[in-house]
Amino acid sequence: MRTFRPAGWRGTAACAVLYGFAFLTMAAAAPGARAQDWFRTGTGLGVNKPKVAVADFVSRNDTSTSLAALFGDVVRNDLDFSGVVEVASKSFYPTQVPSVPMELNYQAWSDPPTSAQFLAFGNLTVTGTSEEIQAWFNDVKNPSAPPVVGQVYRGDANEEQTRRFAHQFADEIIARLSGGIPGVAATQISFVSTRSGNKEIWAMDYDGANEHQLTSLHSIALTPRWSPDADRIAFTCYPTAGSILSAQICVYSTVSSRLLNWPRYRGTNSSPAWSPDGTKIMFMSSMLGNPELFISEADGSRPKRLTHSTGADTSAAWNPKTGQQVAFVSDRGGTPQLYIMDADGSEVQKVELTDKGYVIDPAWSPNGQLLAFSWRRPSGNYDLYVMDIATHALVELTRDAGRNERPSWAPDGRHMVFESTRTGTRQIWSMLADGTEVRQLTTQGQNESPNWSPK
Amino acid sequence: MTMQQPGLKGPLLWSLILHSALFGSLAVSTIMSHRGDLWGGPGGGGAVSVKLVGGMAGVPLPRPESVTTNRVVDESKGLYKSEPKPKPQEIPNDATPIPKFTKEKQPRYVTRPSKTLEDPTPPPQNAVPYGQGGSPAVPYSQFGMGAGASTPAGMQFGGPGGGDFGGRFSWYVTAVTSRVSSNWLESTVDPALRWAPRAVVSFDILRNGAVANVQILQSSGNASVDASAMRAIQSSNPMQPLPNEYPGNKVSVEFWFDFRR
Repeated sequence: MRTFRPAGWRGTAACAVLYGFAFLTMAAAAPGARAQDWFRTGTGLGVNKPKVAVADFVSRNDTSTSLAALFGDVVRNDLDFSGVVEVASKSFYPTQVPSVPMELNYQAWSDPPTSAQFLAFGNLTVTGTSEEIQAWFNDVKNPSAPPVVGQVYRGDANEEQTRRFAHQFADEIIARLSGGIPGVAATQISFVSTRSGNKEIWAMDYDGANEHQLTSLHSIALTPRWSPDADRIAFTCYPTAGSILSAQICVYSTVSSRLLNWPRYRGTNSSPAWSPDGTKIMFMSSMLGNPELFISEADGSRPKRLTHSTGADTSAAWNPKTGQQVAFVSDRGGTPQLYIMDADGSEVQKVELTDKGYVIDPAWSPNGQLLAFSWRRPSGNYDLYVMDIATHALVELTRDAGRNERPSWAPDGRHMVFESTRTGTRQIWSMLADGTEVRQLTTQGQNESPNWSPK
Repeated sequence: MTMQQPGLKGPLLWSLILHSALFGSLAVSTIMSHRGDLWGGPGGGGAVSVKLVGGMAGVPLPRPESVTTNRVVDESKGLYKSEPKPKPQEIPNDATPIPKFTKEKQPRYVTRPSKTLEDPTPPPQNAVPYGQGGSPAVPYSQFGMGAGASTPAGMQFGGPGGGDFGGRFSWYVTAVTSRVSSNWLESTVDPALRWAPRAVVSFDILRNGAVANVQILQSSGNASVDASAMRAIQSSNPMQPLPNEYPGNKVSVEFWFDFRR
């Protein structure tokens, strides 16, 4: 007999050793457990937009006062129209305006009445003919956080360049706050205007500034459509062949500012639509008699007929997400209605709506989930609607405000441009895709058929 | 009458003595228990004798695999040579061959790979390796942190895993929230449903903004809500790339969805 202790003791001792080991391993594992950053967030009923203030940009010389004011105004306007943030009212801003981050009084901006979560500020210096803009976008609720955006812009000291820099800065902010969807402040809108006497293709910034004429064909130009890389515009033109006008497809290069060669076909050819990869153009043509949809290469070669019906088929709109579905207008059932088919012409389906009337101008949203169109119901005028493709749920965007037609989506899927006669003349308007924030972009002459550039 | 508090000194001393006795005896017993009895050693005390079992009633044991030579069949070459097999007579082939159709019919449906879930942005050729990037050292972004006149907070830098991502980059959290919210569509939820408990989905955001490891952490109890939540996150892929100033490789997110119509 060597020992005389009960058997339980041995177990207790073993337990103690085991616990010791466990403590040691846990202590060693603790740094590993926090080697991964994380955060918790969520969503419920609606989206809370962060509140943003845009301080007046400080001008460092007397000559730059107007440019600094312009820069701040354009940034404020861009953010206000972005639909991503809420811009705090300027009248509540603190009197002290920072020009560099050292001067920023965080609390003055984050406390009521401004209550801003973010602040855009900076300064502008003009030396000779060039300008330098320093712009920051800071989280004023977190003084320890680094600036969200810090940029220096250098360029010619003129209004156009300052505007462009302001759009770039606003786009930078919007891209950060929207989670990866770039802003549209640097995009363009092409449209048809009569202000030069004929219907020509024009283009302008997305906020209506910088309107300029692109074509001068002295006949009729209609339905401009940007190519996906935004360096060409396809449209319907009416070149004179002898004494008769016949509608053809024309393509204008915004890079070389001239028309590109595009073949002419018999009959009427109109309403071009680019495929999302930019390699094909779908258009309406009566080259074989009846107006049908044709698809060709981007240079117009190898046209191929896609639709076969007794009525006319026109106004094609590709699904930009997949490039495999096309919405178009056909009167094969008696009145113009929406149809959807595969991009090779198969699987034609009518889009059933809850009411009668004319349905025209389909425009597919960039994420491929929504289809906007204008619809004249028997009870009213042409109004814009948005339909969820999956559920066919409808949202009416305009009502009792003249004719509203030809919607075109912005590349961010949040904005839309359209033509409306609500002021008496036909003008271009833009709005958020839920029908709010309606803004008039053009005022001179008659303007119609807007198309938002894809970038 | 006052209660005499029993002192802790005595019991502690006893406990110390007893514990040392315990560990001492443990050590002694360990040494003692290994002394003397070599298992299987000579002396016979612990030896184990093993006997081969020839056969046991009712337990069929496999036959021993011994190789016995067959006296009839032998692999060595014999005296007799087998004749070669006669060749089958060739039938003259006078049939005309089936003509090959030059224009073969295309299959009617060509399934194309889905573009919805694929990562649209391959890593660029000039991608900066992890740890060597970051914002350039220029004066306009080097200061300003904690420089506010009224706030004493200074710079707080943690290495990877500082744990304060939400505090330092609250704009990024805002961006993720708004992006996912805008992709959470009411139409993807069962229309009969008016309300559902909270669903929690976890995922990782990689350096380039790609979303990975999407999984349901806590189900809402309704499959359509769970699926729509997953879909909202998948369709937000890729997100904004992680902030330049952030040194880490990826960020984990817990995202909750409260459905109410």
